[in-house]
Amino acid sequence: MTAPFYVEVLARNGEVRQRQRVEMLPIRIGRGYDNDIILDDQHASTHHAVVEASADGGLQARDLGSRNGVIHQGKHQNQLPLSGNTIFRLGHSRLRVRSIDFPVADAMRDTTLHAWEGWPPALIGLAMMVLLSLESVWSADIEKSEPIRYVTSLVSLLGLALVWCGGWTLANRLFAGQTRFGRHLFIAACGLLVIEATSLLFSVTAYAMSLEMLTHYGSQFVIAIVAGMVYFHLHTINTAHTRRAALVCILVALLGSGVMLMLNYQKNGHLADELYMSDLYSPTLRLSSNKSVTQFLDQAARLQPKIDAERSKVVSGESAEVSD
Amino acid sequence: MKFIFLMAMSLFCVSALAQPMADSVELPAPSSAAQRLYASAKPDLLQMRVLLKSGRTQSSVGSGFMVGDTNLVVTNYHVMSQVALEPETYVGEYRDTNGRRGAVELLAVDVQHDLAVVRIDHNGSGFFKVPQMLPQLKQGQYLYSLGNPLDLGFAISEGSYNGIISRSFYEQLMFTGPINAGMSGGPTVTVSGRVAGVNVSRRLDGELVSFLVPVRYVRDLLKKVAAQHQAPKNFKLVVGQQLLAHQAKMVDRLAKTLLTFKELSPYRTPVWESEQVRCWGWSNAKQDKPYAVDEVSCAMESAIFVSKQLETGHVSIQHKRIQSSEMGTWRFAALASSQFKNQNLGGHKDLRFTPPQCVEQFVSNGKLPMRAVLCMHAYRKFPELYDFTLLTASTDASQMTLQSRVDASGVSYQNGLRIARIFLEAMSREAQP
Repeated sequence: MTAPFYVEVLARNGEVRQRQRVEMLPIRIGRGYDNDIILDDQHASTHHAVVEASADGGLQARDLGSRNGVIHQGKHQNQLPLSGNTIFRLGHSRLRVRSIDFPVADAMRDTTLHAWEGWPPALIGLAMMVLLSLESVWSADIEKSEPIRYVTSLVSLLGLALVWCGGWTLANRLFAGQTRFGRHLFIAACGLLVIEATSLLFSVTAYAMSLEMLTHYGSQFVIAIVAGMVYFHLHTINTAHTRRAALVCILVALLGSGVMLMLNYQKNGHLADELYMSDLYSPTLRLSSNKSVTQFLDQAARLQPKIDAERSKVVSGESAEVSD
Repeated sequence: MKFIFLMAMSLFCVSALAQPMADSVELPAPSSAAQRLYASAKPDLLQMRVLLKSGRTQSSVGSGFMVGDTNLVVTNYHVMSQVALEPETYVGEYRDTNGRRGAVELLAVDVQHDLAVVRIDHNGSGFFKVPQMLPQLKQGQYLYSLGNPLDLGFAISEGSYNGIISRSFYEQLMFTGPINAGMSGGPTVTVSGRVAGVNVSRRLDGELVSFLVPVRYVRDLLKKVAAQHQAPKNFKLVVGQQLLAHQAKMVDRLAKTLLTFKELSPYRTPVWESEQVRCWGWSNAKQDKPYAVDEVSCAMESAIFVSKQLETGHVSIQHKRIQSSEMGTWRFAALASSQFKNQNLGGHKDLRFTPPQCVEQFVSNGKLPMRAVLCMHAYRKFPELYDFTLLTASTDASQMTLQSRVDASGVSYQNGLRIARIFLEAMSREAQP
């Protein structure tokens, strides 16, 4: 333990909000102007506590009879031994005291691509979005081509992307001090690409292999991809809390998927997105074999008990309006 | 539905039926025969009303007539359907030409032919005779239709008999004369006062084209009433049994009808075309579409009326060939998918049916590979009855597909599967060059 000391005022997430050098012990802390550390905290007493050498040669914080006391891990302490990592609370202020010989952790390896900031990711993300939008309109365009459909789709997609990325940029600025709009735009474009690609892949696979589940629950996969996107946005804002970000994303995904299932159930009476698979492709993509008419009708015959069971269920629905 | 049942149900219904004078046909002045008939028929002519038990407001009205000198009244099933199906909510009442009212007791129904027999508190004068020997009618012969049109007052109208038609599943008589809503259940008689039929419906898209239930079914139902000790307690069961009997007869008759094949080259599409099942063709012959759709659709022209919310016992068939030479495989796939999607299969909150459930599979009958979807729902009120919908899309070509939809409503599970099998096995295409 070597003088001088640094008294650090911390934010709730552990970041240092304010750091002050003190040359020697004892360090008087309080709201009064005759203290070494002056706390701008209405809940701190005029002379709240003092940090001094303890009998065993370490540091300790001692309560000077303050109204709200010295709190460590939720408990009042009259005398609290301090290591460089002990955080204690005076009023609403969280404090930590370190001597200059406090050993700091090794530097983290810098994995950030500093060239991949600003215009390059923004432009590439933008180009991806334009291409995706044009492709999706083209592939679903079953009428005579009209340019206006491409324009409206493009404008609405870019507008949506702007709002989405704008939100993340704002969050980035708030929590990490820099905007990184280009990166967020690129992440959104990649997410969109993955959504389009997996949707097509799943749909074609479902058709080829007769795996109807893939389209029946297509929205669940989209939700998973969006959660992945959110992870990368969070990661861009703060690289330090990877696990926390992952947890948030898993929660978002579970919540989204639950809401989607509930919506489907409310709207259609079943959990799937659709009653039957309607996706059709070229027969050259077919891989599974055709069933016989008898096999198909046997399958239908086995459904009868399930349908009959529905009869006894009470419905609180509306009676259909029928004209005569 | 091109038919309207002749039951005045609401003001909306009445005003919808009102037509501008310019469109209506000038009627001949009432003949003296009509005057004579009305005068003698008057005491036995009734208006049948269905009232809400709470509040006694009228829910629907029709007509009826007393059989001979008994206390039995014949009317249409569809006039009394609410009393049959929801006796806890509705009650029947009669009103005669003098304004006298009284309660009615439902004794028997014939859902197939749309007839009902009720009992009232007094006997008839004997004017309306239901003949044991059926009257021989000649085309063009004058008939007189009686009833209470649009709840305006009792009326008689004159028209001519124009033969037996078998467009509807059960034969009916064509009557070329004005019948209006509210005259349902009223009698149509010959000049000598013999009952020829019971007013039942008219074509909305025609002029004076009306239909009668032949009197022989009235006779049969009256025999049944005479044979039964007491009225059935639960008419819902009776209606359910009659619907089951109808579907058995209908599917048997259809299955015996040879399938005819409509050419949507190269596909050979199976349909039942008959007097009862009429087919129509359609094509999107527009230049501004990058694809062509040609369609054949066939449907039975009539269905069985069960309640205001439910008509059933019906089959329809639709085949659609979609092709494009300019769209490319991927965009054609999008087109085929969009046509195959969003088929109306009924909701899950419907009080009449259970939620639809489907099986889906790639199926081949050896002649044509298809994507097949078969969806079913059950009737909540009638056991053993279901609606079946078969959807198919041929998977034989990358820029052409035959999409079909076959609907069978109010059939047993066995018969639903039977119809699905008939169509799945009959779909075919000419051998590829």
